[in-house]
Amino acid sequence: MFELLATALVDAFQVKYLVPLFIGTLVGVVGGALPGITITMTVIVVLPFTFGLEPLQGLIAMIGVYVGGETGGLITSCLLGIPGKPSAVATTFDGFPMARKGEPGRALWLGIWASVLGGLLGAIVLVSATGPLAALALRFGPWEYFALFILALSMVAGLVESSLLKGLLSGALGCVVTILGNDPVMGQPRLTLGIPWLEGGVPFLPVLIGVFAFAQIMGEVERMGRRNAVERLQQGVDLVVSHLKVLWEIVSRPMLLLWSTIIGLLIGVLPAIGGSAANMLAYDQAKKFSRHPEKFGSGIPEGIIASEASNNANVAGSLVTIMAFGIPGDAVTAVMLGALTIHGIQPGPLFISQNAPLAYGMFAAYILAHPLVLILLALGVRWVLRIVIVPKSILFPVVLVLCVVGAYALGNSMATVYVLFVSGILGYLMVKFGFPLAPFILGVILGDQIEINLIRSIMTDPDLSLFVTRPISGLLLGASVLSIAVALWQHRRMQRRSDTAQAAESADF
Amino acid sequence: MLAASLFLFALTLGLKDNPLVPIGPGYYPRLVLGVTAVLALAVFAVDLFAPKHVEPRTEKLNYPLVLGMFAVFGLYCGALPYLGFRLSTLLYVAATNALLDVPKSLKGWLRVAAVALVTTALVYFVFERYLTVLLPRGRWTDF
Repeated sequence: MFELLATALVDAFQVKYLVPLFIGTLVGVVGGALPGITITMTVIVVLPFTFGLEPLQGLIAMIGVYVGGETGGLITSCLLGIPGKPSAVATTFDGFPMARKGEPGRALWLGIWASVLGGLLGAIVLVSATGPLAALALRFGPWEYFALFILALSMVAGLVESSLLKGLLSGALGCVVTILGNDPVMGQPRLTLGIPWLEGGVPFLPVLIGVFAFAQIMGEVERMGRRNAVERLQQGVDLVVSHLKVLWEIVSRPMLLLWSTIIGLLIGVLPAIGGSAANMLAYDQAKKFSRHPEKFGSGIPEGIIASEASNNANVAGSLVTIMAFGIPGDAVTAVMLGALTIHGIQPGPLFISQNAPLAYGMFAAYILAHPLVLILLALGVRWVLRIVIVPKSILFPVVLVLCVVGAYALGNSMATVYVLFVSGILGYLMVKFGFPLAPFILGVILGDQIEINLIRSIMTDPDLSLFVTRPISGLLLGASVLSIAVALWQHRRMQRRSDTAQAAESADF
Repeated sequence: MLAASLFLFALTLGLKDNPLVPIGPGYYPRLVLGVTAVLALAVFAVDLFAPKHVEPRTEKLNYPLVLGMFAVFGLYCGALPYLGFRLSTLLYVAATNALLDVPKSLKGWLRVAAVALVTTALVYFVFERYLTVLLPRGRWTDF
């Protein structure tokens, strides 16, 4: 394993890999720093550029975007008080107050170093856990895969913040998208509604691009002209800092760094939850375990270290899930999955054994992206601050044109562009009506696999009780039921608390 | 959603089973559509009977602008096969840029034109020339 990793690390220093990694990381840093532009959107923008590249080059660029974006988001969080991305919200709580107290350099570099250290600690888990997990998944039969995918869907539906029912319906709706077109076993046409190009089914990448890009862009467009955040940009901030001092501030709190990294990794491994939950949860945990929780929010280093170490470790967790099981850990890895399938590569348990150079190349890119981020920010953090003032009226049409190019290039057909447009409308409406997007996308990605494994299992043995009596399958299905039950209980508890708070408020009034 | 899933469910009843496969092509779609219909009904019932929490609206949202953005994008998608990538993208970027930041002077219109021209040219050259990604050609314009 380590030999392969060492070889991949040496190979990654070739110009053909270093250039996409450098460009990807740079674009990621800028995309992450731009308020209103998420990492998902940045990776969607980068996707069409990877079509003309080798699979590893494309994946390296995307990993660069992912790592760069997670770190880049803290720049505006610390210096402007505006989170560059959802997974940097908690960084703002202490980063911005510290900057306002006259220590912008300390706030920024605490975040950057915590990101890099959290990310590199996450790399240890990524490299060492992916192989054994994939080996475990290799022992799975169709019953276990079916149960695993059901578990992923139910967990995502249950873990979203809005209504559990809407989460489940959103996941089911995603699966509905996959039943349009020929059936996957015998190729018999079904539910094509008389549309010829629908016979091949609905490709998931334009759906994913449309849903996420439009939901995010239109969400920003709704508020255009009513928020004016970038004007708060501070000119002439002093970012000079002693790096040794900052590093000591982090490593002198080893438990904080380690616990935040573990939280990030665990949240990353869970499908489709993402860095924003990791960022908030790690901050919350740091506050709970702190000897001085009352100081959180006033600009203390613990708040910045916890939130930033967790969101970079979250990237490693997401990569573990996609590389070992073929299940995207979040929207960014869902786009990566799309990029892999375009090149005819199927992520999953066989991915590491069948595509070892590619898998270890991804590990190497993830590791190298961290020092690269460090160098990029040391040299150009001021330039990044200038770029974030690019008006959205220029940015949004450019992003949407790149979405069209990405969708069109998938099959050189306008059909995929129309799918993109329809998905965009659907994604925006879903957000407006309170339906979470993550379960929908996971349904679109896993729907086919759920059907194929269901049919395979019934073709092998028509006894349906095997889904419950086979130990791993039964355990996974039991966990699905449990995750829904826990989510239901949590939603009820939250509702009760909110009702009590409202009653108390009206009594006070 | 309820109506759509019931409509599709009805369509699956017409699918013929294959003797080679123990479950036909309609088995899984019926399962998914059945679950979707039940969940849609449950969401509808919850929305109907649950006590309403009226949250005070603090921010006025610009829906006409969103509608305008969708309309322009729809026109762009419609125009692509007829005008081709270069011309329709030029028009789309200009229209969207002007929609999001209405030009109030000649300088503003020049900015719109420059942004549209640079974006179209850059995207075209990068994708067609360097990444060999073929972009849509126009039936009317032939380029």
